[in-house]
Amino acid sequence: MDIIACIKRVPDTSEADVVKIDPSQKDIEKDRLAFKINDWDEYVLEAAVQLKEKLGGTLTAVTIGPKEWDEVLRRALAMGADSAIRIDQDVSADDPHIVAIILDKVIRRLPYDLVLFGAQSEDFGSGHLGAMVAEILGIPHATLVINLEAEEKKIHVQRELEAGTLQSYTIDLPALLTIHTGINQPRYISMGGIRRAMQKELQVMSLSDLGLSLDALTPMVKLEEMRLPPKGKEAELITGAPEETAGQLAKILKDAGIF
Amino acid sequence: MSSILVVAEHRNQTLADVSYQVLSKGRQLADQAQMELLAAVAGVDIDAYAKELTRWADRVIIVNNDQLEEPLAEPYQKLIAHLIREIRPGIVLMGHSSFAMDLVPSLSVELGIPLVTDCVDIFWQNGDILVTRSIYNGKANASYSFAQSETILITGRVGEFPVEEGQRQGWIEEIEFAFEEECDYKKFEGYLEVEAAGVDITQAEVLVSVGRGIKEKKNLEIVEELARVLGGVVSCSRPVVDYGWLPSERQVGLSGKTVQPKLYLGLGISGAFQHVVGMKGARMTVAINKDAKAPIFSVANYGIVDDVLKVVPALVNKISELKGRTE
Ligand SMILES: Cc1cc2nc3c(=O)[nH]c(=O)nc-3n(C[C@H](O)[C@H](O)[C@H](O)COP(=O)(O)OP(=O)(O)OC[C@H]3O[C@@H](n4cnc5c(N)ncnc54)[C@H](O)[C@@H]3O)c2cc1C
Ligand SMILES: Nc1ncnc2c1ncn2[C@@H]1O[C@H](COP(=O)(O)O)[C@@H](O)[C@H]1O
Repeated sequence: MDIIACIKRVPDTSEADVVKIDPSQKDIEKDRLAFKINDWDEYVLEAAVQLKEKLGGTLTAVTIGPKEWDEVLRRALAMGADSAIRIDQDVSADDPHIVAIILDKVIRRLPYDLVLFGAQSEDFGSGHLGAMVAEILGIPHATLVINLEAEEKKIHVQRELEAGTLQSYTIDLPALLTIHTGINQPRYISMGGIRRAMQKELQVMSLSDLGLSLDALTPMVKLEEMRLPPKGKEAELITGAPEETAGQLAKILKDAGIF
Repeated sequence: MSSILVVAEHRNQTLADVSYQVLSKGRQLADQAQMELLAAVAGVDIDAYAKELTRWADRVIIVNNDQLEEPLAEPYQKLIAHLIREIRPGIVLMGHSSFAMDLVPSLSVELGIPLVTDCVDIFWQNGDILVTRSIYNGKANASYSFAQSETILITGRVGEFPVEEGQRQGWIEEIEFAFEEECDYKKFEGYLEVEAAGVDITQAEVLVSVGRGIKEKKNLEIVEELARVLGGVVSCSRPVVDYGWLPSERQVGLSGKTVQPKLYLGLGISGAFQHVVGMKGARMTVAINKDAKAPIFSVANYGIVDDVLKVVPALVNKISELKGRTE
């Protein structure tokens, strides 16, 4: 089975209390942030590697981003991808329609039975891209997949709805899935894997290599402004050393009749 | 601009809460711009839904077709594409549910129309519609405008738009719709419900809830201890289930359980909206998180900005002390 995994790199903002808006008001200041692979894409790579181990075939990792994004491709290679392609273009703040058009052009050049995306990205999290690309490619899709079993010509998947309900589908290949967290336990990357990854070559392509030009790609939505979220209600903060805060909180809970 | 069309979603004989939420928002936007508000509902035995929807919508379109009984992306994409071509609404509004996530991206590509998903605000500005999305783990907001297009597609975040009582008495119009061909490449096989086998967190009065911030599975021990002295139960955010630290029946949130305990103690949980929708009914919320900007602090009554692994053992001691004194 030939598999394509689309992955991206994101700033880690989950624990960053330093998020500030850039003077352009079109992005956040990123210079003090650490970067990592998109959470969902780790599960994408693990799912892809497991399928390859079971069914053979090829695994190609694809990303659209600047040079630093090679890092996520190296990770993919270390986990077991055979080849990796980076389209050298910073599209992180662009309309997903445009990103989808570019990804479609890359995917079409490659052999594939199954295309895997993350269900969502941590930074902008539109959750669009997979299903958009499937429609452009003209293949069936399922989003938010948390169980996946593959045969040669078809796959059985379960996608997640609200409140712990799943929907089961059987889908003919080729198909595109967006993978949800929890579908597997992503493996640790071994030193051997890292060494092998460093020896493999990354293929870098430009938009013009794909027959595209940014001017011809007109966005359908436009980012107007980025702001810090409005201050909502704020918790009453209990301050001090752990002994003190714990003592005060214990008293609050006791007074509230919790124990 | 002509009209606003809200596509309602239902399953298990119930209209989705989020459909009421976006319907209320749709009513407001339509009133502000003096537009007609349409709602569409499809399936079998849908008259009762249609009647409900007339309280908000000026016109409710019903489509009786058994292939539209379940909320499945492919048949609904065909139906909505058809409705858009026929009715030419200016805005199509849906709730940002799993159903919509599977459906709207392909629909926007099929029709070549703009889409913004998971909006936390939708508003008029100088005659144009603008939307706001929450990005970067809730740490920034971004507003977007749309390129010129006859129709635009928007999904609204679950729980973000309050339901206002509908005062209308709209009329119902049935539309005939038939599928030209069967979709044989993708077969829906049915539903699976994750059943609770052990602990039912929805029944607990006190929930000690842990997130990724507890860092390691072994740190659950001290949290269990805290739950024990408080007479409560341990629940968690999604990553804790994803990592296999706790079973999925303990998960609070959009894809987990909705809880309304007397006390919700969030430990190392950032407060992503998919988590918060499941616990915002708690009577009292306390958050301990080392990030002072974590969104959980805007839902909590009390907060401690510190390392959970330092505060929790101290808290266990203090509570035990206080309990010892009264007992
Ligand atoms: C369709 C969909 C459905 C989802 N459904 C759910 C759902 O049902 N439930 C759910 O919870 N999530 C759900 N999610 C995931 C959700 O978006 C978040 O990713 C998740 O809630 C984050 O969990 P967390 O707060 O534990 O982790 P993080 O966001 O990583 O937060 C960890 C927090 O711990 C803090 N921390 C770290 N170390 C310490 C320390 N030593 N002491 C104190 N604090 C510390 C950090 O500051 C941070 O705020 C869903 C997502 C999607 C796309
Ligand atoms: N620049 C990119 N290059 C390759 N894949 C991407 C890129 N951006 C997003 N994706 C894929 O799309 C998924 C997220 O979709 P979205 O939330 O719509 O951004 C990610 O998990 C990736 O699989």
